[in-house]
Amino acid sequence: MLRQKRQTLALASKDYFHEWQISICFVLALAAVLGPMLVLFGLKFGIVGTMIEELVENPAKREIRPVGSGRYDRVWVDSLRKRDDVDFIVPRIRSIASTLSVSSERAGRILQFEVIPSSAGDPLLDPKLAAPSGLDKVVLSASAAKKLQVSSGDHIEGSLRRQYRGHKERVTLDLQVVAVAPATAFKRDGLFASVMLVEALEDFRDGHEVPALGWKGAAAVEQRHYTGFRLYARSIYDVAALQDSFERSGIEVRTRAADIENVQRMDRTLSAIYWAIALIGLGGFSLSLGASLWANVDRKRKELSVLRLVGFRSVEIVLFPVMQGMYTAIFGWALACGIYYVAAWSINLMLAPQLENEQQICRLLPAHYAIALAITVGASLLAAILAGMRAARVEPSEGLRDI
Amino acid sequence: MQESPSEIIYQLKDVAKTRSSNGYTFGLRVPSLRIHRGEKIALIGESGCGKSTLLDMLAFILQPSDIGSFSFHGDRGSEIDIGLAWRKHKRNRLAALRKAHMGYVMQTGGLLPYLDIYDNINLSRQMLGMKDDGTVELLAKELGLTRHLKKLPDALSTGERQRVAIGRALAHQPAIVIADEPTASVDPFAAEKIMSLFIGMVEERNITVIVASHAWRHIKQLGLRRLAHHTRRSADGRLTETVVSG
Repeated sequence: MLRQKRQTLALASKDYFHEWQISICFVLALAAVLGPMLVLFGLKFGIVGTMIEELVENPAKREIRPVGSGRYDRVWVDSLRKRDDVDFIVPRIRSIASTLSVSSERAGRILQFEVIPSSAGDPLLDPKLAAPSGLDKVVLSASAAKKLQVSSGDHIEGSLRRQYRGHKERVTLDLQVVAVAPATAFKRDGLFASVMLVEALEDFRDGHEVPALGWKGAAAVEQRHYTGFRLYARSIYDVAALQDSFERSGIEVRTRAADIENVQRMDRTLSAIYWAIALIGLGGFSLSLGASLWANVDRKRKELSVLRLVGFRSVEIVLFPVMQGMYTAIFGWALACGIYYVAAWSINLMLAPQLENEQQICRLLPAHYAIALAITVGASLLAAILAGMRAARVEPSEGLRDI
Repeated sequence: MQESPSEIIYQLKDVAKTRSSNGYTFGLRVPSLRIHRGEKIALIGESGCGKSTLLDMLAFILQPSDIGSFSFHGDRGSEIDIGLAWRKHKRNRLAALRKAHMGYVMQTGGLLPYLDIYDNINLSRQMLGMKDDGTVELLAKELGLTRHLKKLPDALSTGERQRVAIGRALAHQPAIVIADEPTASVDPFAAEKIMSLFIGMVEERNITVIVASHAWRHIKQLGLRRLAHHTRRSADGRLTETVVSG
């Protein structure tokens, strides 16, 4: 029985390639519907994907910071850090106190850098590189490192002044650059320091002693308060909820929730448009495929009757159009992928100047090709089996007399 | 003619097929028909008298409306109840019988256009898993088709195509060959030649043959037994019934 199935497949293949003109028409008809659908989906996926990627990959979009300055204590900051929807939080001190004069052996002049409290896990830093820690290990922003002509491992000197009990004082501290932050994350000149170091700088400016660095002054601070914080939500989708939660507790915050909301709304709109077109397309596609396979079986009724006459069984009569349907499905799909590929390539090329590198406006994942193939093959199978069963039910004598 | 029951190949009793369309009814009734192994049967009559209907029933490709009894003896000693197979919708069983025991020559070739002549003749052999033992070449030689073996049916004349169809019907050494007006589509001169060749070949191979034709004159010379039949028409012309027996 297997022999006869093999024979059927061989006959169906021979017939398909013998009638190559008609087969090409079937393949073209299929690709003509499927190709544009792939392009449409590629565009939707590419446009929304690019926007969302930008949102997800740019930590600035997940940032939440309070407007103005307040008074936050360490316990409160720690409690926020424990929240699931918070990826990272670091307290900030008064902005007036958060600068440091820095020099290096290679750079001729002293530069004023913004000091940014940070720690391991800061989304602005490269997670693969070291984070600022202790009182001497710092990370420089890319532009700061460039101006100082230093790189990871180099030492730099920080200095700061204060007016204490009527006279000017200046202290210096040796700092080691443990890493340079990626240029995309932070564009200004900045020095990422541990909270401990930032607190030490603030204490010195406020006239307090810093025993760890040997700086003298008034008694150490007992109860520390921060004026603000820098917080990153776990994902862009948590930003709106976090913002609500802050505003309910009376803290006005600034977020990029509006941007995120825009992209999400656009995604929803595009998805709705896409699905509307896709459903119409899918309907047309199924009809086109079903009609051509059905017509094919109808056209072949006589030949199928001949096969029936020489002793082919019902299952083989069904197998014959199924095999041919598979050819049409696979070739049509391959051609549609080709159409998509050319279209996507030209669209991306055309819009390349407006895009950041690596971004694509028209894009499909391998899984999408596979899904398209599965749908095509599934629809072909269904249509071919239905048509084949109809052919198998026709009495052979009827088919034979339609000559 | 042998009368031993083991030599019977077809036995029909009260088998009928009725078809109606547009208020006209055509009926074919077979009160009794017995065909022996090796017999050469001719079914002669104008078109529309029910020849094809009978042939199709004998080839198990048309379901009779009524079956008293209908048995088929493909091999000596085996008896298959065709009526039962139809009632139980065993179409695959019937297809298997055709494949193993039957060759069928259609009025117009019925060749598969995508197979070359060799493969067309070899189709039934291949289905039965028979080895290429030179049978196809031998048949082609007898039928004068040797130089066409690698061609597609398109490239052949109608008469040549009919000869290919005969080759296909004989290639797997069936017990019976059914031919429905095998020469109706070729000119009378070629028709006589093809018919003589065909009958000569089945005779040589001791194959039972049932031929439908509208020309008795030539068939008679070939020594075929003519099945008796008469057609009756009702007064208003709405009912046509043919009764065949033999």
